[in-house]
Amino acid sequence: MTTAEFGTHNWGMVVDIDKCIGCNACVIACQAENNIPINTQDRVERARSISWIRVERYWEGDFPDAKARFIPIMCQHCENAPCEPVCPVYATYHNSEGMNIQVYNRCVGTRYCANGCPYIVRFFNYWEPVWPESLRNHLNPDVTVRSRGIMEKCSFCVHRIRHESRKARSEGHEILDGAVQTACSSACPTSALNFGNFNDPNSKVSKMRGDKRHYTLLDQFGTDPNVIYLAKIDADKKVGAGEAATHG
Amino acid sequence: MKLNRREFLALTGKTAAGAVIFAACGLPERELIVQSPVDLPEDLVRGEDAWYATSMGDFSNGDGVLVRVMQGRAKKIEGNPDHPVNRGKASARYDSVLQLLYHPDRISEPMVRYSKSGNLVAANWDQASTRFKEALSKADGALTIVTNPIRGHLGAVATNFAAQYNGKHMAFDPVEQGVLHGAVKSVLGQDQLPTFDISNAQTVLSFGADWLGTWGSPTQFGVKYGEFREQQDRGYLIHAEPRMSITAAAADLWLAPIPGTEGDLALGIASVIIENGMVSPQNVAAFEAAVPGGVSSYQLAEVASRTGISADRIEKAATHFAEHTPSVAFGGGSAGAHTNGSFNLGAIYALNVLVGAVDAKGGVTSNPGSAFDDVPASATGASFEAWEAELAEWRAGNVETVIIRGADIVHGMPNSVKIREALEHVPNVIAFGAIHDDTMDFADLVLPEQTFLEAWGTEIPEPGPGYQVVGTQQPVVGPTITRDESGLISDARGFGDTLLSMSDGSYGSSMERLVKDALSDLHDTGRGSVSASSSSLFINGTLQRGGWWDISTSGSSNVGKVNVKERNASYSDTGSLGTGDDFHLVPFHSNSLFDGRLAATPWAQQTPDPISSVSWSTWAEINSIQADELGINEGDVLRIRSTSGEIEALAYPHPGVRPGVIGIPMGQGHHKSGRYAEDRGSNVFSILADEKDSETGALAWAATRVRVQRAGRRVKVPKFEGNVVARPVEPGVPVLVVGISETAEEAQEANHHLYQKQFLGEGKESGSDE
Repeated sequence: MTTAEFGTHNWGMVVDIDKCIGCNACVIACQAENNIPINTQDRVERARSISWIRVERYWEGDFPDAKARFIPIMCQHCENAPCEPVCPVYATYHNSEGMNIQVYNRCVGTRYCANGCPYIVRFFNYWEPVWPESLRNHLNPDVTVRSRGIMEKCSFCVHRIRHESRKARSEGHEILDGAVQTACSSACPTSALNFGNFNDPNSKVSKMRGDKRHYTLLDQFGTDPNVIYLAKIDADKKVGAGEAATHG
Repeated sequence: MKLNRREFLALTGKTAAGAVIFAACGLPERELIVQSPVDLPEDLVRGEDAWYATSMGDFSNGDGVLVRVMQGRAKKIEGNPDHPVNRGKASARYDSVLQLLYHPDRISEPMVRYSKSGNLVAANWDQASTRFKEALSKADGALTIVTNPIRGHLGAVATNFAAQYNGKHMAFDPVEQGVLHGAVKSVLGQDQLPTFDISNAQTVLSFGADWLGTWGSPTQFGVKYGEFREQQDRGYLIHAEPRMSITAAAADLWLAPIPGTEGDLALGIASVIIENGMVSPQNVAAFEAAVPGGVSSYQLAEVASRTGISADRIEKAATHFAEHTPSVAFGGGSAGAHTNGSFNLGAIYALNVLVGAVDAKGGVTSNPGSAFDDVPASATGASFEAWEAELAEWRAGNVETVIIRGADIVHGMPNSVKIREALEHVPNVIAFGAIHDDTMDFADLVLPEQTFLEAWGTEIPEPGPGYQVVGTQQPVVGPTITRDESGLISDARGFGDTLLSMSDGSYGSSMERLVKDALSDLHDTGRGSVSASSSSLFINGTLQRGGWWDISTSGSSNVGKVNVKERNASYSDTGSLGTGDDFHLVPFHSNSLFDGRLAATPWAQQTPDPISSVSWSTWAEINSIQADELGINEGDVLRIRSTSGEIEALAYPHPGVRPGVIGIPMGQGHHKSGRYAEDRGSNVFSILADEKDSETGALAWAATRVRVQRAGRRVKVPKFEGNVVARPVEPGVPVLVVGISETAEEAQEANHHLYQKQFLGEGKESGSDE
């Protein structure tokens, strides 16, 4: 469970793995929204690709009982984030709205944060991002293009939050539940990804995290993430049966 | 710069050091955001954006989208929340279209080839128009327009243009849906593809169709799948397909039949249901009336043997389907791509009759016809048989001019039809497109075409949501000027507008006029989702909303009969293909490249395949145990030979493939398609054998058998799997799985105990040194 109680907002995400079909709509939506460099074949082969959200696939069992399990993983925006205290230049810090913020123009590229992150969701720019001139037309002007030598990661689409927050302020009301959607949650066809305010007890995500299937990734590390997962349901699994080790 | 003590203290209060000092006081980051020099674009949004509603054109089956435009540039494509088909949601293919719009290799100007052996040379639109008119001047009675299956007014323009020259309009779809349309028509009596009420079904039984990934209307189905799982009593999904697709992976029960036996499986399920009295006698009577010969020859043991699926799995599927209702059954994709495809799909759709799902809540419901008299609500590719006949006409010199748009026929047709040779015999080949494709190598005139983000049109989604829908397509950006201001990225024109400018004007003067006139006609009906006092207000309202729909309309079904002419599948021969091991080839749509229409874009290329996680290449999926037996390892280059030719692909063994089956994605192997796709991977279409569905003459694209041999090379597979070390919730358990009534905590505890038992071994005590 998250511990951030201060402030009006505590932004977070609830990922219902039972609805995730692994389609990667979230991955491309994030790529487009956040000006993530093209993951060329060379970068993929060298394990240097950047993907703020990824869908991991695990195999369970063998034919004909084989099952593929999907889980989308992005920055968990931990309340006790291991990446924050190790940054020597305060390029990553926790804000009062439950988000782990990366300040690009402070980052000096020590990569300590990436070493500290157990979720492996921080990415280092080994190269200057390059797009052919005409493709630069689709870059999102709301999001910084990160240069070589610095870290980047999921921002919970903070620019969308800022936009909605200004809009709500100018219209004289609070941000309505559902008004802010990250690029990934907006794209997700099955609504496996849900974004909202945990500090609003009536928000969709607050209700969802009360589900009996809720858990957090690597709970044993005590990172207290703001991303809550709802476990995959297997209709044939018996209560208390446990799962054997998987491969893939 | 000199600082006194007071200034120094004031400054530290606004810096990161200050942030640490104030950390205990709350809200320090507001200080940082406002006062420190760390303002990022994320903090300061400059400029206004506009969101325009339009339709996804050729890249979905009628999804409505919103396009974010800033300073005249399209930035993002998202689902239109108002649109009844995809209801605000997206697929992995939406944003890639932006990269077609701004592709660095986009065709910038018309090109003319003055002799068949010459090169394409740049021309202006005046020269191109002259060449176009010359080609048309001799084309009366000898004109063929080839497009992808296009619905809406663009399709009607192409058909009318062809009619004006006494020619024909033929649609090409490398994975044609003629068998599906035929089965729906013969069994359910529906002219359009029906709606599957997945949201309200308790059991979904699907065959061959990867409906959550690439088949039909995946975004629409994805939204419904979310609702299906969210029901009080969680829906149960059974999916039959020889390889694990996205849909098979989502299924509660995956059945992997021998390819071509899907109809047997469907009737085997029916047989179990009938024998055990799981449905009413009336339903049984209706079903038996629809299935000539009944199910007497589909006894469980026999079907298990024929399909390669164990009897208990078939029984389990039958029990769920009959007893957890409402249920719906549907199929398509590889299940219909056999010589007995019509029988397979007919038997599958007839299951709806058995459980009373036709026109029922949670079942299969029909869609009404088009809202326009002159625009059909359905479109499908011409059959392979029809294409063979047409290409014979080309070869015989009976066709003077061929106009091609949205169909890369050189890439999409099997080697066996010798499409290149046929094109060489056509005096005038005119090709439209945004990126140079393989077919344009044979074109005498290449015309740069606008993408759907720049052109006017309408779209009739198929399958629709159960009522009439007209999606609107409008230009959301104008022509884009190059950065050095030397010209336009592409001096493109719309396909429809170009045809209309070359026509006698009887059908319309421009696509914009056609769309607005059509909307004006809708206004005159006085019905539907948009009401306005004048036609112009109605048009604006419809364009703003992305379309018009009338929920009071509906279609109707008329149950007919399953086509049982050919019940058994036959496959291509491998006898003469040299050494190697025989496999059954099951091609499948790439989740991001689709059939290759998005291969030119780097986002589509880089998107990991959901199952294999491979990108940028062509891989071959084979069963991991069989691969071990054959000594095939991941990354081995495999030579895959059929009677139509040979390709190479990288081996990717995994447990989600039926032994004896090799799955290869479509979409790669273009010789031309821009810098990101050119000469990358292999084209699986090229090696398809010319087997056909016995009823419709459609290409049986899953009926090819191949001989597989290692090429003796091994390369690194470009895949995302393994790029990140798995960090399991419990050792060995990366994804937490619970039973229906189990809590996450209970599951974690059980996993923990199981792990301890496995790790420590039975009978050993915790703390042992062993």
